[in-house]
Amino acid sequence: MSHILDDDEGPKLYSERQDWADVTPIPQYEGVRPIAPIFYTPEYTDATDYFRGIVRTGEKSQRILELTEAIIRMNPAHYSAWQSPLDVELKLMDGIAIEFLKTYQVWHHRRLILTALHDSSSTSPPPTSAPTSARDAAKSELDFITRALLTDTKNYHTWSYRQWLLAFFDLEELWAGELAYVERLLQEDVRNNSAWHHRFFVVFGRVKRGGEVGELQDVLKRELAYTKDQIALAPNNPSAWNYLRGTLEYTNTPFSSLETFVQLYILEKAPELDVLDLENPPPGPGAQLPCVASLEFYADILEKRGEKENIEKATAIWKSLANEHDTMRKKYWEYRIKGALTNTNS
Amino acid sequence: MSEQRVLRPTPTDGFPSPTSELQAATENILKNRIPIQSYTSTDKKLLEPILQKNLHLEYLLRNLVQGFPSRYTSQDASQPWLIFWTLQAFSVLGVGLDEKVKKRTTDTILALQHPNGGFAGGPGQAAHLLPTYASICALAIVGKPGEGGGWDQIDRKKCYDFFMSLKQPDGSFLVAHHAEVDVRGIYCLLVVATILNILTPELLEGTPEFIASCQTYEGGFCNASFPGWARTEDKSLDSAAPRPPLGEAHGGYTFCATASWVLLQPYVRTYYTGTKPTPTINTASLLRWIVNMQGNPIELGGFKGRTNKLVDGCYSWWVGGCAVLAEGLLGVDLVNHEPETHENDGSNHEGWDDVDDSLFNRKALQEYVLYAAQHHAGGLVDKPPKFPDAYHTLYCLSGLSSAQHRVVPSETRRADLLNYWNTDEAPKDKLDELQRDAFSNVLSWQEEEGTSKFVGGAVNRLNATHPIFNLTVTHSEGIVAHFYGRKLPVRQFRKPQAGKSS
Ligand SMILES: [Zn+2]
Repeated sequence: MSHILDDDEGPKLYSERQDWADVTPIPQYEGVRPIAPIFYTPEYTDATDYFRGIVRTGEKSQRILELTEAIIRMNPAHYSAWQSPLDVELKLMDGIAIEFLKTYQVWHHRRLILTALHDSSSTSPPPTSAPTSARDAAKSELDFITRALLTDTKNYHTWSYRQWLLAFFDLEELWAGELAYVERLLQEDVRNNSAWHHRFFVVFGRVKRGGEVGELQDVLKRELAYTKDQIALAPNNPSAWNYLRGTLEYTNTPFSSLETFVQLYILEKAPELDVLDLENPPPGPGAQLPCVASLEFYADILEKRGEKENIEKATAIWKSLANEHDTMRKKYWEYRIKGALTNTNS
Repeated sequence: MSEQRVLRPTPTDGFPSPTSELQAATENILKNRIPIQSYTSTDKKLLEPILQKNLHLEYLLRNLVQGFPSRYTSQDASQPWLIFWTLQAFSVLGVGLDEKVKKRTTDTILALQHPNGGFAGGPGQAAHLLPTYASICALAIVGKPGEGGGWDQIDRKKCYDFFMSLKQPDGSFLVAHHAEVDVRGIYCLLVVATILNILTPELLEGTPEFIASCQTYEGGFCNASFPGWARTEDKSLDSAAPRPPLGEAHGGYTFCATASWVLLQPYVRTYYTGTKPTPTINTASLLRWIVNMQGNPIELGGFKGRTNKLVDGCYSWWVGGCAVLAEGLLGVDLVNHEPETHENDGSNHEGWDDVDDSLFNRKALQEYVLYAAQHHAGGLVDKPPKFPDAYHTLYCLSGLSSAQHRVVPSETRRADLLNYWNTDEAPKDKLDELQRDAFSNVLSWQEEEGTSKFVGGAVNRLNATHPIFNLTVTHSEGIVAHFYGRKLPVRQFRKPQAGKSS
């Protein structure tokens, strides 16, 4: 553990360094014997003692960057160390971000830098020679995020940051490739819910902003066709069904408009079709039917339609979900039955 | 009759993908955690899973007294969380702490109070909303009024100022200066502001709308929404403009957003009168999302945090524990809920299906924690073969507790609390009304008598925990009563009203 003491090549402790001799290190707890203490490495204790020292004096010099970087490399979740001056280069951070993708602070810090770049370039014309005009920075940042998602396709903060970047810069050239990007990811893994959510963000986030009603109808048509195709590939995929439901609800389209499609998935064996109906792609060869989501969807159509006969049919479906196809959610399906019966009685 | 378990693998439709392959591998590990005796034995004792309370207590005690090994350095900015997770796990296990430990803990927490208000993740660090929640909740467990007791040393005025300094034009809050917006921070702020009795309309303005904007098309909530398109030139907010959610629906954020929504209702009731449109969330799709996060029998009924992700013990609390909040918002009257498809499945757990209970599967969730989330050397885990940590130990236990007990808002208790308050004075103004409502709103959550259910028998019983705070009801009442300067009426168990026999 004391390998640092006689090692000329390794980094010295701050307490051994002449250039930090003017700082008084401050131990974590003064006069308190803390409960549940963490046993830090000597390097970490040393660096954070000096960090507390300069926080107390309020020093704002360059050497703080070195100290905070050292702390961040030992503990990327040290949010106070991230609050140091923002003139850290993005390049320097790329390595840190890939190593510590799960940490909020990494992504948030990149966001602060890009915001600063955006704000400075919008008040004064961007310097022509600078390689990092806000626009270029945003584009290369999108590429960087794409690389980060290669190693971790569902990383929450990375996705959230990608969406922020698109909305914040709101540049046509940034949005342009997103749909194709999502489709590539879903081709690799049709069950990647993060990619499905991103599709919703890209498609409806933008339409809602400036979209005409006519345009929305085209978008709806495209989205339904795409989603139905993905459901046909793997019918037991809740991500695709949730997207389908979300799309219909968002556009105020009745679920009943998909009755023909859904009926292909509620039977144990898909019906033989004479002609291929492109609007209603049948389940693929390996499909395990009926799938829970289609039964739920069909019962929703029946419930909405109302009248005793439909409610009875919906109730039969809910009972089959409760007792056979989706027994874990028995109580929920019983609740749905009760809700439908209460509504028809009143 | 022995229990019938149908362990169907999640269907892959002959179309595998990375997600389905990971899922299948996890199902293989999980299904082997069900003791083989369950299939065949007629000896009931062999079937019952045991909560290894002693092992878990030893694990917790080691952490509390000896401390945490150096791999916990990543939690250096979360020191009050380590303390809260450990202390609250003791509380859920029904173990009190001696005065010396309480005093040392109080002193440790007070060393985290920032000179400008709020609490930091460690001494000398910046104040942050998340450690502020953990600190106040830890003080709810170990603190008391008076000199050195912890409660009266909390600087409420500065804490309020700190909160206001984080406020954003879209009704959200940064989690710390120069930091990000996140619904977890808002939950932490609302819990603390409610407990400390520092709620004001200025603090809460726009926050219900912000929370509502974080609900995604799936029904669950994400970590934040994008505010940029809703900002008008004069920096006010265009309420009709879109605020798209950033990130997909997620268990942790869904709990925080839903609990925030419940905590915001007193403000909504008091101040959204007249012309101001009341913000809404889609509670039906929220409930649908929550119940869909419960894994199938082959996943032992544990909860996932996102669609098509894996079950994880901590979501026992974040999602399982959220169900009762959603039920409350929907006004589900479960006591009158007549099971429509009741069939005697010959379960060993007598009476499981003839008592009305939650809309998720309480029995299965208990089984997940008992079978899959206990580490043989003490402490609880995400899923096998992972190692235990302080975080998963608490949230597995809290989740198990929320599946054992039903703690629900009681209108009777609420009326009692208000009556007690009203004997002195009528509300002076709206702020007074807000305080009364907030006070009775959080303290009206009571354990429902006769609806506890323990897989493995009463030896596995844990204490009930408050569905919003994740403190025991006793600890919640103690600290809330202190900061509202109120004595509390004697607590009575809520009796199920209008039982099925009537
Ligand atoms: Zn977890």
